[in-house]
Amino acid sequence: MKNNDNIKVVIADNSAIIRAGITTVLKRLPNYTFSTNEISNLETLQMFLRLHTPEILLINPLILSNNTISAIKKEFPKIKTVAILSSFIDSKTLTDFDDTISIFDETDSIITKMDGLLTKNEEESTDTEQLSYREKEIIACIVKGMTNKAIADKLSISIHTVITHRRNITKKLQIHSAAGLAIYAIVNKIVEIQDIKGGIN
Amino acid sequence: MNSINRYKPTDKMSNIIFRNYSLISVMSRFGLPLGFGEKTVKEICEQQDVDCNTFLAVVNFMEEEQYGYEYDAENDQISLPALMEYLKQAHSYFLDFNLPSIRKKLKDALELEPGKNDVTQSILIFYDKYENEVYKHMEYENRFVFEYVENLISGKDTGSYRIKNFAQKHNHIEQNLTELKNIIIKYYPQEKCNNLLNATLFDIFHCESDLNLHCKLEDELFTPAVAELEKKLCK
Repeated sequence: MKNNDNIKVVIADNSAIIRAGITTVLKRLPNYTFSTNEISNLETLQMFLRLHTPEILLINPLILSNNTISAIKKEFPKIKTVAILSSFIDSKTLTDFDDTISIFDETDSIITKMDGLLTKNEEESTDTEQLSYREKEIIACIVKGMTNKAIADKLSISIHTVITHRRNITKKLQIHSAAGLAIYAIVNKIVEIQDIKGGIN
Repeated sequence: MNSINRYKPTDKMSNIIFRNYSLISVMSRFGLPLGFGEKTVKEICEQQDVDCNTFLAVVNFMEEEQYGYEYDAENDQISLPALMEYLKQAHSYFLDFNLPSIRKKLKDALELEPGKNDVTQSILIFYDKYENEVYKHMEYENRFVFEYVENLISGKDTGSYRIKNFAQKHNHIEQNLTELKNIIIKYYPQEKCNNLLNATLFDIFHCESDLNLHCKLEDELFTPAVAELEKKLCK
């Protein structure tokens, strides 16, 4: 699963048209898939956030009472908060938000904002899907069921290096499980079927 | 949730399926056999002894989900026992019917290409592992979570566990199925078109979204209803 898949977003606004509109615009953005929840009032929002904390909260500042946004940020520091602007709003009330989206924004500028909010801690994704020889060796070890420690010993490298290799493999192939790597390894003749039978079962 | 598109007790049962065929699975999980004639939702539910409000809450959730479900804490009068019975039936559908039948189809499809026996085996190993994961996930809910809620309903002391603990850890079980599908699409060395394999992929796509919706329903209908009950009892 890519990091851009299934990003949890809550849209809190008292207008059904604006909520549905934002949901639709988000669905149209390339490179991301969002899982959205629409909420129309503050009370419901507070209850929902405690059960299912989203990554992004898009909210109309007008449904908030004083200081609620800073209270929300305090309770859920990881949530990125974005103000939905549907009319003129005093810019002082917006200082606590991470970003703003106006209902007059074009799709392009919304994409840019989402990129800014979501890719901060992610490096440029690699276009080179080719695995190095070392990476193939490591895949062979993983699918045989070896631990990071055992792999490090066998290849005379540090555990830290093994972990870095594993992260790069996951990024290049978009395969996250050992059982998934096993299929890849068999298809590409990196290992034989008897090698994996003991390992990942 | 807006009340405009919602189904009501007085709607004809057959119309619900005509509008959205994926709701057929909801019918069977509530134990409602086809052949509805001209009967209304309320009549059918009474006839089969199904809690009408819970049935409508599930159907409306599925329906609304297509457009972006509006979450509403004051959710009708859902009957938790009826909702849990539905969820158990859904679990049984996935574990006893859907996943095994996909496995059979997948195996048949892969065996059409005998030269790739090793690949076939590695895919089936993945699949079996996945099935086992789903089993554990759902058994945990059946045994532990539902028992907690049953105790809560009957007023027994439930210790410090809260549904919040479940909600935050509840992972979406379709993710590894997504991975399998992606691996087959990207890496399966298909030489000529294999219609059965393609049909199996359709089934996997469908199962994936079905599982996703199932987990969402647990997140957005079941856990809030339990949280509401906890709130009442703690007063």
